[in-house]
Amino acid sequence: MDILQSWRRVLASDDNRRRYDAYIERWESRIACLLERDLTRATGTPDAALPLSGIPFAVKDNIAVRDFHLTCGSKILQNLVSPYTATAVKRLEAAGARVIGKTNLDEFGMGSSTDNSALQRSNNPWNASAVCGGSSGGSAAVVAAGLVPFALGSDTGGSVRQPASFCGCFGLKPTWGSVSRFGLVAYASSLEVIGVLARDVDTVETVYDLMAGADDLDQSSLARPAAPPAREIRTVGVLRGTAGLAAPIEAACRNTIDALKQSGCEIVELELPMLEYVVPAYYTIATAEASANLARYTGIRYGLRAAVDEGQEQMVAATRNAGFGDEVKLRILLGTYVLRSGFQDQYYVRAQKIRTAIRNAFDAAFQQADVILSPVYPTQAFVRGAGELSPFAQKLADRFTASANLAGIPAFAFPTGVADGLPVGLQFMGPPFAEHRLFDAVRRLPDVAPLMRPDGYDEGWRS
Amino acid sequence: MSAYDVFIGLEIHIHLLCASKQFCGCRAQFGGEPNAHTCPVCLGYPGVLPAANEESMKMAFLVARALECELSKKCFFDRKNYFYPDMTKNYQISQFHDPVGRNGRFDIEVDGAVRTIRIHDVHLEEDAGKMIHQGRCSLLDYNRAGSPLLEIVTEPDLRSAVEAEAFIREFRRLVRHLGVCDGNMEEGSLRCDANVSINHPGAGLGTKTEVKNVNSARFVRKALEFEIRRQARLLDKGERVIQETRLWDADKGATAGMRTKEKAHDYRYFPEPDMPPFVPDEPFLAEVASRMVERPLQRKQRYVATLDIAPDTADFLVEELDAGRLFEALLTGNIAPKTAANWIAGDVQAQLKRADTALQGSHITPERLSGLIAMVEEGRLPRGKAKEVLELVIARDEDPVAIVAEMGWEQVLDDGELDGWVVQVIAANPDVVQKVKGGDGKPLAFLMGQIMKMSKGKADPKRAREKLEQAIAG
Ligand SMILES: [Zn+2]
Repeated sequence: MDILQSWRRVLASDDNRRRYDAYIERWESRIACLLERDLTRATGTPDAALPLSGIPFAVKDNIAVRDFHLTCGSKILQNLVSPYTATAVKRLEAAGARVIGKTNLDEFGMGSSTDNSALQRSNNPWNASAVCGGSSGGSAAVVAAGLVPFALGSDTGGSVRQPASFCGCFGLKPTWGSVSRFGLVAYASSLEVIGVLARDVDTVETVYDLMAGADDLDQSSLARPAAPPAREIRTVGVLRGTAGLAAPIEAACRNTIDALKQSGCEIVELELPMLEYVVPAYYTIATAEASANLARYTGIRYGLRAAVDEGQEQMVAATRNAGFGDEVKLRILLGTYVLRSGFQDQYYVRAQKIRTAIRNAFDAAFQQADVILSPVYPTQAFVRGAGELSPFAQKLADRFTASANLAGIPAFAFPTGVADGLPVGLQFMGPPFAEHRLFDAVRRLPDVAPLMRPDGYDEGWRS
Repeated sequence: MSAYDVFIGLEIHIHLLCASKQFCGCRAQFGGEPNAHTCPVCLGYPGVLPAANEESMKMAFLVARALECELSKKCFFDRKNYFYPDMTKNYQISQFHDPVGRNGRFDIEVDGAVRTIRIHDVHLEEDAGKMIHQGRCSLLDYNRAGSPLLEIVTEPDLRSAVEAEAFIREFRRLVRHLGVCDGNMEEGSLRCDANVSINHPGAGLGTKTEVKNVNSARFVRKALEFEIRRQARLLDKGERVIQETRLWDADKGATAGMRTKEKAHDYRYFPEPDMPPFVPDEPFLAEVASRMVERPLQRKQRYVATLDIAPDTADFLVEELDAGRLFEALLTGNIAPKTAANWIAGDVQAQLKRADTALQGSHITPERLSGLIAMVEEGRLPRGKAKEVLELVIARDEDPVAIVAEMGWEQVLDDGELDGWVVQVIAANPDVVQKVKGGDGKPLAFLMGQIMKMSKGKADPKRAREKLEQAIAG
């Protein structure tokens, strides 16, 4: 709680708030990760006894916070102000925390760089010409740069963990259903969940514990089991056949395995041939659900409305054409395609079968290993215009992260160090509701996070 | 026109009488200021999720059970995708793969004979809003959006337009008896689309058309009669029926093909990821069972067969829920069922009509009505006065016994007093008595009038007449 404690007073006086605002401004001119910020709404210190009393945080702009915009990084919702607040955010506010801004993202969460935002270009705090990852890139960057002690993101296929790795912070994708999705703008409902990004394990754990739990407004949310999986870690599974990793990632894997062995863990090599099918199954299911989830944006009730006079059908078509970016259109088309009657068996139903097989494969793997150590992404953050992956290669690179979304299991990305001026990260995966086991797994490793500070990172302004 | 086999299947939608909408807490109510009953959930704002209403699930299972369906053990929801401005999400949460009930049956009565119609399925879904065109402008009212809607689909077992009408009427009675729908077709609480095809005898189903926009059971019959004639004329000429949707125009008394180009809809159903499957447990099923009622047709048959009630009267008592409840309440007393039924269908209805009021709130209670019937049955109140008593009960909210006492309408049953009046009248009118004795029956009425006058109406006319005739003959 020490790191959180040091944030308690930043909003307490006009003076503190000015210093805070200046720090944010300094960074924002470099990274442009906040789509909206408003410190004035966080005035009035809440009850000091609350666990997060007076602590500011940022929220990915696909999560609803009343009276803040809810753009989803899209032109189609650029003018929408949310009339309500997401359950996860409400629970944190009830604990005393205050939203100070909304962070940039790939449009509707579709992408792995945040460059797919239709609203602004965000940069990695470690290197302004590198991407901050995605789709929760803005949240990862503001945490890494020390603008907030934690931020909320959402993880549909790696969208919390990959930017966390790219920016050098911790990123938790909880068990599907353990955190209410009410207020999270749906992209792929059966895969996504609200997650936490922070610079230390304790903060992630505190925030997760406050957000988790069943919610009447989300009937797919689940109460935590009375006897969650034990925290104790004796065996760590590692994946065989992870060829194609960039050298710094491979080195991080080796070093982490050594550190785990030294801490007394047994390393078990796991064969998960199903991983080969993760990406096609993931994109089939995600796009199918997206095609329905994004159908509501028509300009009729809210958001962008194209000025068309001919009739409602033409108006809706023109609005969607003008309002959605290319990646979003591509995924809606793909999703519509895979759901066509007569073709469902070939695509959607088959993807669901693969999903079941992946889930079973993980079940079996967790009989052998308490947690699984895996890369998050095959590369570090890419520098724009140099060695960037093609959009297709970026999708293929989702295989390590998307597997946890298909299986619905928790996964926790953590930083392992810096190479060539950019962070490197890995992840632990565990059985459903084993979040605390993942936190403890990371605590067994040498804590590199306090040493990982991008140029310009400063805590001095807070004291 | 040659004779053809007719095949009609119905798709009936009913608005469930739930306090709140299917997936949010907004009031599910017909009418109201446009968009007054809306919230981010039923307006399809980004990020909202459906939270299902268990009451509608109970009603859905109740209807499925009343239709003798196989009940789902694990009920899934699906998304039905299509774009329309009155649909806020542009997909409807419905049930496709695992509806609440399947393979049911429902008995209807046509010309006194019972026919069993197979039910394909019963499924729960949400209603859309309403689009109103005003000049170059379209207005949308989402008050109805997200209201719980139950769809009942029959097999094409109905063989005529008359049977289709009978089905709707019987089904309407069922849902009103179950208390799940008010059955009001004009207001759209119960809506019906009909599929109809005809074919040469024995040749099986023909090419069907779908008839929509019909807002009464009678119009369903008329629309189907029109459509059957239209199809028959085509077949007579050797032409083919085109599969299409046709709208009923009540003013013209005709159906017409929808002018918009018929799109082959691909609804791209897939399982709703936001809702876990619903698994009815024992307490749920027990509560559904406890809400089950006698089906209206069975009740009618019981009234006719075991209570000796005329079929029309039995129909009335089953059709009118309040009248039926009043009747059932009277059955617990000493009054003969047939007597009670005739009173309710006769005098009570006539007086309610005169007072232009409904039974509910009319101050007629089972106790008051049975008290009134008892007075008449025992001869203490002239039958003819009963309607005046009822009128006063409705107008004054008073007990019939008190009214009769206050008005002095109670008849004297004491023979001595009656004999005295007879003797006095005979003594006072010797001429008239002579005429009667001479064989002229007409003046008897005059003498009766005198007795009634003398008794101030308290004499029981039947008994007074008997005594008068005896005395004159004597
Ligand atoms: Zn609502």
